[in-house]
Amino acid sequence: MSFLSPWLLALAGAAAVPLLLHLMRRRIGARLDFPAVRYLRRAEREHSRELKLRNLLLMLLRVAIVLLLALAAARPLGPGLGPGHPPTAWAIVLDNSMSTSAISEGRPVLDRLREVARRAAGEASSGDRLWLVTADARVTTGSVSQVTAAIGRAEPLAGAGDPRAALDRALALVRSSGLDARHVAVVTDGQATAWTGATDAGHVAVSVFAAEGPPPRNRAVTHAVASPAYWTPRGRVEAQLRSTDSVTWRVVLGDRTVARGTSAAGEEVGVSTVPLGRGWLAGRVEIDPDELRGDDVRWFAAWVGDAPRLRVEREAGPFADGAVEALVQGRRAERGDGIAVTPADLAGARPALVLAPRDPVRLGAANRALERAGIPWRLGEVRREGARARGLAGAGARLDGARVARRYQLVPVSGAGATDTLATVSGEAWVVAGDGYVLVGSALDTADTDLPVGAAFAPWVAAVITERLAGNTGLVLALAPGAPLAHAAGITGLERADGSVLPLVAGTTPRAPAMAGVYLLRRGAARAGAVVVNPEPGESDLTRLGTDALAARVASTAVATTSERAFRAASWAGGTRRPLMASLLLLVVLALAAEALVARRGIGTGAA
Amino acid sequence: MDPARADLIEPASLAALGRVELIARWVVDGFITGLHRSPRKGFSVEFADYRAYQPGDDLRYLDWKVAARADRWVIKQFEEETNLRAVILLDISPSMAWAGLPGRLTKLAWAERAVAAIALLLLRQKDAVGLIRFDDAVRTVLPPKSRMQHWHRILSQLGDPGTGEATAAPAAIAAAAALVRRAGLVVLVSDLLMDPGPVISATRTLRAMGHDIVVLHVMDPAERDLAEPGDALFTDPESGDALAARGADVKEAYRQTVEVAIGEWRDRFIASGASYEVVMSSEPFGVALRRAFAVRQGLP
Repeated sequence: MSFLSPWLLALAGAAAVPLLLHLMRRRIGARLDFPAVRYLRRAEREHSRELKLRNLLLMLLRVAIVLLLALAAARPLGPGLGPGHPPTAWAIVLDNSMSTSAISEGRPVLDRLREVARRAAGEASSGDRLWLVTADARVTTGSVSQVTAAIGRAEPLAGAGDPRAALDRALALVRSSGLDARHVAVVTDGQATAWTGATDAGHVAVSVFAAEGPPPRNRAVTHAVASPAYWTPRGRVEAQLRSTDSVTWRVVLGDRTVARGTSAAGEEVGVSTVPLGRGWLAGRVEIDPDELRGDDVRWFAAWVGDAPRLRVEREAGPFADGAVEALVQGRRAERGDGIAVTPADLAGARPALVLAPRDPVRLGAANRALERAGIPWRLGEVRREGARARGLAGAGARLDGARVARRYQLVPVSGAGATDTLATVSGEAWVVAGDGYVLVGSALDTADTDLPVGAAFAPWVAAVITERLAGNTGLVLALAPGAPLAHAAGITGLERADGSVLPLVAGTTPRAPAMAGVYLLRRGAARAGAVVVNPEPGESDLTRLGTDALAARVASTAVATTSERAFRAASWAGGTRRPLMASLLLLVVLALAAEALVARRGIGTGAA
Repeated sequence: MDPARADLIEPASLAALGRVELIARWVVDGFITGLHRSPRKGFSVEFADYRAYQPGDDLRYLDWKVAARADRWVIKQFEEETNLRAVILLDISPSMAWAGLPGRLTKLAWAERAVAAIALLLLRQKDAVGLIRFDDAVRTVLPPKSRMQHWHRILSQLGDPGTGEATAAPAAIAAAAALVRRAGLVVLVSDLLMDPGPVISATRTLRAMGHDIVVLHVMDPAERDLAEPGDALFTDPESGDALAARGADVKEAYRQTVEVAIGEWRDRFIASGASYEVVMSSEPFGVALRRAFAVRQGLP
């Protein structure tokens, strides 16, 4: 048992008053002439046992009344059948992820979840502290009416959100409340992909309501990309559809449908096209609407430009020339003056893909040429180690795993501008990129590295040419709605499809927009890439967990049910402790009634 | 005030209007007025005397010849009536000189007025009345006489409280037996705060001699229902016996005990052939007298 106002237990000291009065009850008062003393003495003699018992009973009742009042004033909490619940830190996690927008039995699942959440929150009392945490971890707190109103306003997200983070946030909130009674209620559709591992809730009770019934059948576009991301101008759209039967699809570029067709279950979609326009292009793959609309469209972005002209120096080696020839054959590039593929000692103007010289005696000439070309790197000592390369983001990823037998240490020159390291070897830069150049620390020779004989070589050459050298087109970021926006240095806003710009607030972590679509990254007035926002593919899998499995995956203390009544009962159980004040006051009333009865009836009434 | 029904007036209020003599007359007048017929019956056939008719007398004993001849209304009396000898035993012990409330008559004051009324009532019926006052001993003895002047002697004896520290009713009863040789009436007026054994024994003896016995058990209302709710040292003014108690605690037990004691007195007096009535010192005299003598006199 615990007490909300334990200092009021000091009132229990007043129990000494009836005790003292009882002990002093033989105190002699005024002397009174009374001739019938013989009857009085006889009454005391004949009823002495009853008198003692009655006085003892009265004393005990009066002491009990004082003690019960003191206990009630201290507002105890404890096991019992007291009505209501103790002041509780109560947070409800409303799963409003995209999957809850699915239509089930004629209405969105989220409608049912909101209804359950509103009614559960409505049982709160004025002493409770309430929070609503939605699947995007957004928190609303306030009175019962404010929280229930917020529940009513909750709209489905465009993606999965992060119910796990929302639950963690709710647990942190109730733990920080300072109240002893803590509870987190979770209202969810029970989607298996949303709950993958249990949270340790500690001593916080967690109740889970899972939407009743089987999930609706769902078709979805789970994957759609432009391949490559930079079209010259020919490109390809690749997509994957989720369906248990055949499904009709469309590929739309801008406002123009460029392809349509029907695929069997599990079949991949690939469409090659040459768009008319140039620059950044938003496209989408669509299927016919079904019960879950949010995943019937999937967006992609491509940068469309003319094929770059490439000039390969003979000293660059046969592998470089072969890769360029493959690009030319694939109409991804043309030969001509434009981008140079050259060893460092012959480097002239940028843009250029610069390779380390084969012969170390050319090292001095190479560094001088690099300086003349404005490339802020120089070649240092020769490293012979036979280590594997570690590819980094973007085009560098294709270099991952390449074996490097000999390389030059790449040393940055002071005053170098912004550079990216595309790959490292033994922790040192091996391939770097900057404004109009890509510098490789080895020659494209099998004696130095096996990169040119690998399958990834030609695509890598294509990628660095289109992404780094053919015009500073920027990045393509594929993100879920509301996900943190990485690589956002210098980004000032996001350009919507209608041309309006959503500014990024300085000092806060930039996040992807909540709505699916293609947004162009703006660095001032310049476009610096694209953000493609699509729901997580797993969100299209509406498979639901059973209540036991769901409880096990939500939290260590969770109890899951599909019964709203059981959920509400569990949500406000407050553990096993309830306020006992009302019960104690009832006992006080009963004790007072008993005391009055004993005092009024006296001894022997009814027995005579 | 209607003096014709003074017997029904609250005794303390009535006592404030005059001396014992006056009060007794009013009470008796009112009492007799309230009767629809003479309280006497069993008149013998031996004519003894005439007396003036009084309202309430049985018309069967009205002498119609005298009424027709002399236009006087007289009642015939017979020898048997005049030979009734009554002795009133009045307890004047200190316990009788107590009242539960300041404005209430003490038990003794109430008893004196009641005794005066009884004596006057008997004397008016040509009965001989005597008075014995006692506390822990017999204090005064007036032999029974039937003359009206004797009532004044009785009155002069009243109003003198006793000085003893006990109540010796058996001695008084024995004295009464000595005063009334042949069968008569003995009226005991007492608060009966005494041991019942000797009293009952003496009563039984008296009854064996052929006497009728009427016991008026005078109580103050505060003796029947304890009024003191707080702590007090209850002290018997007669014996000095004291007991500390909380009135509220023992009130109910005391009430039951008193009822049991009254029941014991009643049972034992009736078993010994006496009639017994509890009269409260707050009751009008007429009500108490009627209760006391109703059965004996066949009053309605």
